[in-house]
Amino acid sequence: MFLIIKRLWQVNWAEQWQYRANLLMYLMYWLVSPIIYLAVWTSIANAKGSVNGFTANDFVTYYMVLLICDQVTSNIVIHTFGYKIQDGSLSGELIRPIHPMLTNGLVNNIAFKALTIMGLTPIWIILYFLFKPDFSSVSMTGILLAIPAMIMAFFIGYLLSASITALAFWTTRIYSVHEFYFALILLFSGQFVPLTLMPPVIQNIAQYLPFQLLIYYPIQLILGRLSTEQIIQGYVMSFIWLGVASLLFNWVWRNGVKRYSAVGA
Amino acid sequence: MQNIKLLSAFLKVNIQMALAYRADTVVNILLNLMWLGWELLSLNIIFSNTTTLGGWGIGELIALLGVFRLVNTLMIALIWPNTEKFNQSIRDGSMDYTILQPVNSMFLVTFSRITVWRIWDLVLAVILIVVGINMAGDVTTPLNILTFILLAITGTLIIYSLWIVLIAMTFWFTKFDNNVTILQALLDSGRYPATVYPAWLRIIVTFIIPIAVATTIPLQALRGELGAGQVVLFVAISIISFWAASIVWKLGLKRYSGASS
Repeated sequence: MFLIIKRLWQVNWAEQWQYRANLLMYLMYWLVSPIIYLAVWTSIANAKGSVNGFTANDFVTYYMVLLICDQVTSNIVIHTFGYKIQDGSLSGELIRPIHPMLTNGLVNNIAFKALTIMGLTPIWIILYFLFKPDFSSVSMTGILLAIPAMIMAFFIGYLLSASITALAFWTTRIYSVHEFYFALILLFSGQFVPLTLMPPVIQNIAQYLPFQLLIYYPIQLILGRLSTEQIIQGYVMSFIWLGVASLLFNWVWRNGVKRYSAVGA
Repeated sequence: MQNIKLLSAFLKVNIQMALAYRADTVVNILLNLMWLGWELLSLNIIFSNTTTLGGWGIGELIALLGVFRLVNTLMIALIWPNTEKFNQSIRDGSMDYTILQPVNSMFLVTFSRITVWRIWDLVLAVILIVVGINMAGDVTTPLNILTFILLAITGTLIIYSLWIVLIAMTFWFTKFDNNVTILQALLDSGRYPATVYPAWLRIIVTFIIPIAVATTIPLQALRGELGAGQVVLFVAISIISFWAASIVWKLGLKRYSGASS
C-alpha cells in the first residue's frame, strides 16, 4: 500500500508540476476575494474605530489566517475527477484494486495543495509586510490545536465534494450543484466575514453545519479566540461530520458505480 | 451596417444553440438569481454594520453592483466563449477560415459566440442601476447620469481593448491560453468602490487591469466627483486604447502562419 501511494504521489506531483503556470493563475484568482473583503472591512473599522468589537487589526489577522486555512482545507476534486465519470475514462481506474477517489484522487489533491502552498508562501509574506498585522494573540497551543482540526476539515470537505462529484453517475449538471454548494460555503463558513458579524439566523444555522469547520473554526483556534468549551464543541462537531461525510460518500459512490456503464460501451 | 447584419446572424445561431439546452438555461438563471440574492445580502450585512463605505451609501453600492454585473456579463457572455474558441482556432489552425472571410477579423473573433441567456443579466443590471440611483436620490443630476452612462461605455471599451491585446498575445505565444484569467481574477474587485482599497491594489485595478475604470469611475461621475477635464481624459484614453488594440491585433495577424507545416 505504501509503495502504491508513493508511486501515485510521484505521478500526480509530476502532473501538477507540469501545470505550474496555470496554478499560479489559479492562486491569483483565489487570492483576490479575501483581500478585497479585508480591504472593505478594515476601511469600515478604521472609519468607525471598531465594528461590533472587531478592530481593523482583527480583520487583517482574520483574513490573513483565512488565506492559509482555506488553502489547506479546500479541494479541487470536482475539476480533476468529474470529467472522468462523464467521459468514461474512469473505467481504467475502476479495474485497479484501489479506490479511485480515496487514493488517486486524494493524492492528486494533496499534490496540488502542496504546490499551491509553495506558491502562496512568498505571496503571504509580501502581504504580511503590506498589511503589517499584529499576531500577538496567536499561541503555539492554538496552532497545535488547529492542525488536527484542519486535517479533519480537509477530509470533511473532500468527502462532501467527492459526493457531489459522484453525482455525475446520475446527472451531467454536477457543476451547477457544486455552484450551489459553493454558495453555502460562502454563507455559512465565515469566508465573507467572521461569522459573529453575520445575521443571527445564519449564525444559528451555521453552528450545526460542517462549513464553519472548514474556515471559521480553525481561524478562531489559531487566533486564540475560543473558550475551552467552544474548542471541545468544535472537535466533537468535526468527528460527527467526518462520520456523516464518510457514510454519505460511501453510499453515493456504491450506488453510483452500480449505475456506471462507461460512455461508448 | 454589414457588422449589424452579421451580429444578428450570430445571435440567431447562438439562440439556436442555447435552445438545445433548455433545462441548463433554467438552472443557470436560477443560480444567477441565487447569486444576486447573495450579493444583496452581503451588501445588507456590510450596511448593518456601517452607514457608509468609503463615503458611499447603500444606494450607490447597489448601482455599483449593477455596473459590476454589466462588466461581468461582458466577461461571461462574450469574453470567455470567444476566447475559448479563438485559442482553439490558433492551436488547430481553423483561424485560417476566419481570416479568409471578407470581414474585419477582430470583429469576427470577438462576437461570434454569445451566451444568449446572459442577456437577461443585462436587464437585471439595468434594474439595479436604476434602483440604486433612485435610492441615492438627492445627489444625482441629469448631467451626472449622462456622464455616468458615457463613462460606463468608455470603461467597457477599455476592457474590450485590453481583451483584444491579451488574446492577440496568442499569435506570439501559442501556448498562452491563460490569456484572460488575469482579467477574471481581478474582476471581483469591481464590486466595491476602489477608493476603499489600499494604494497598491487601487493602482493595479486602475492602471494595469483597469476593472475600476469600468466600475468605480462611472459611479464617481454619477456622484459628481469628476471634473469635465477628467471625463474628457477617460474618453480619450478609451479611444486611444481601442486604436492601440487594433494595431496590436493587425501586427499579431501578420505573425499568424497556420497550424500545419
